[in-house]
Amino acid sequence: MTSFRRPPATEGQFHSRRAEFSRAALLVLAIAGLLVSAILAIMAGQNPISPSTVLSAIFQFDGSRDHLVVTLLRLPRIAAAMIAGAGLAVSGAIMQAVTRNPLASPGLLGINAGAAFAVVASLTLFGASVGNAQVWYAFAGAALAATCVFFIGSVGRIGATPLVMVLAGAVVATFLTSLTTAILIFDQTTLDAVRLWTVGSLSGRTMEQVLAVAPYTLAGLAGSLMLARHLTTLSLGTDVATALGQNAAFWRGLSVVIVILLSGSAVALVGPVGFVGLVVPHIIRLTISVDYRWIIPFSAVIGAFMVVVADLAGRIILANQSFPVGVTMALIGAPFFLWLARYRTGADKS
Amino acid sequence: MTRAIPVLIIFNLMAVIAAMMWGDQSIAWSDLANAVIGKASPELQMIVIEFRLSRAILALLAGAGLAVAGTISQTVMRNPLAEPGVLGINAGAALVASVVIIAFSGVSPAVLPWAGFAGAVAMAAAVYALSWKRGTSSIRIILVGIGLSAFAGAGTSFLTAFGNVVDVQRAMIWLSGSVYGADWSKVHGLLIWLAAPLALSWFCSRQLDLIRFGDDVAAGLGQNVNMMRAFLILLCTLISGATVATVGLVGFVGLIAPHIASRIAGPSHRALIPVAGLTGSLLLLIADIVGRTVIAPAQLPAGIVTALLGAPFFAYLLKGRRHV
Repeated sequence: MTSFRRPPATEGQFHSRRAEFSRAALLVLAIAGLLVSAILAIMAGQNPISPSTVLSAIFQFDGSRDHLVVTLLRLPRIAAAMIAGAGLAVSGAIMQAVTRNPLASPGLLGINAGAAFAVVASLTLFGASVGNAQVWYAFAGAALAATCVFFIGSVGRIGATPLVMVLAGAVVATFLTSLTTAILIFDQTTLDAVRLWTVGSLSGRTMEQVLAVAPYTLAGLAGSLMLARHLTTLSLGTDVATALGQNAAFWRGLSVVIVILLSGSAVALVGPVGFVGLVVPHIIRLTISVDYRWIIPFSAVIGAFMVVVADLAGRIILANQSFPVGVTMALIGAPFFLWLARYRTGADKS
Repeated sequence: MTRAIPVLIIFNLMAVIAAMMWGDQSIAWSDLANAVIGKASPELQMIVIEFRLSRAILALLAGAGLAVAGTISQTVMRNPLAEPGVLGINAGAALVASVVIIAFSGVSPAVLPWAGFAGAVAMAAAVYALSWKRGTSSIRIILVGIGLSAFAGAGTSFLTAFGNVVDVQRAMIWLSGSVYGADWSKVHGLLIWLAAPLALSWFCSRQLDLIRFGDDVAAGLGQNVNMMRAFLILLCTLISGATVATVGLVGFVGLIAPHIASRIAGPSHRALIPVAGLTGSLLLLIADIVGRTVIAPAQLPAGIVTALLGAPFFAYLLKGRRHV
């Protein structure tokens, strides 16, 4: 007992100006890192392009070959990576706060399963002619599935409690995944066409697709920043939140809407990637802070950073344009996450 | 509680009889009775006893195993979403099975169960070992399980994306879980393998009740929490590893059957474990009957039908629920 002493600064540290300042500085640093990695990702490739060419391609487009490579291939790809990473990580953080479950991810609202089912069904019904519309099918499928989950979760007499919502989500997701698998088992052509997408791929994204979903992501990110303070309260549980005067049901509903916007658009672009949404919020919680006012912005930046870097690694190290980013990300991210989980969790947390 | 168990047993028996009667060739009551007492023609005997009954019993065993393993892991992790897959069991089995099916497509399918079991046990052991740091904690096991599953999942995804599409399809069928090609040797194997762990988990029901309260309370009530958690995880791994090896990945039963059971039987594990087991077996058997009859002569893997049937049913159960 003698050795048990509370670290003197614990109470103050959480709110102290200094800690807040260093976190803000870290956030700025992370944003800078994200921008640098994005520019590097645009420059690097089988055909390296100088930074000045990148800038002039963006601002003074002249139609040369390098400019075409930048604007038609690399820029959409990097933009898609950033949108997807930020959207998935933030919506993962929101899901974990709302459900108070460390296993929660955007997929738990049925987003991934809904998107995959819609894409597979559209390919089976209309053949490969779907093209650009695939994004909309995926988005619609994700939104529909999530709405179903929310309504199934709220029909009970006490409204959408976290546990009911989570179980409803697991049920709907399994249901849709089973339907998808059933289709794919009987339809080899669709399986061949869709299997790269289902593990998360960034190849062949067009600026048109990126611009189509970008407004939803931006709206969702803005909304999530405003939501952040309420998420911290919500993550303490319905009872505490109610006692603190929060209308838990309202904020929970709003959170679901934001998750649909963010991860629906992300999944529409890159396919049902699970890892970012599940792991990035944990990484932030283990390293930076448990306060959602910090978790949300850090998740957005680090999530985007992870997808950009994973895609870059896939293109450079493996020299393969269509290597699924979902795989590279898990290969790089999982060992790091394991290390964190092992060394940054206390010995006796339940 | 005492009433629920006999009722569930009767339902299970009815499902077994239905499984023996229905199929490509429907069998009349009298023929069925003759087959059971061994007086029917050899073909009929073959269909009813060798094919249909063994398959039904295999589904019962697998369903019960998955449900009990799910109950244990949800209690030990204190997380309503913690199906045995959280321990990495599914991801490990899926990775090894995909490697066998896709990368070494020439290997005989007889290797698959052993490969799946080895993958499942190896992953669970790795998750446990990596989360050991002067004792374990539920949250660390969950986090490490997420990380390792993602790692193994990346390997599976890679094979899925770049393997030969015919092999990928075969792997998907195995992975989605089915009781195709059941025979009595498989039934015996699974029965021998499951009997002791299932019985032990029922004897542990008091310890399960305790550990659910949290590490501090359980320790205060005299439980050696780390030992017990290790033992329960071992039981869970053995049960679900053997089940996954025999029937593939049937994920939904392990998640849903414990929740349905706790609605029927309440929180005490003495009642919860048998009710969960019977619910799980009923769920998987009905799913298999539906899967092989609705679109006959083609068959849907039971794992898929379980979710297709179980999901609406569970949604209905949630509807009337006041307290969760």
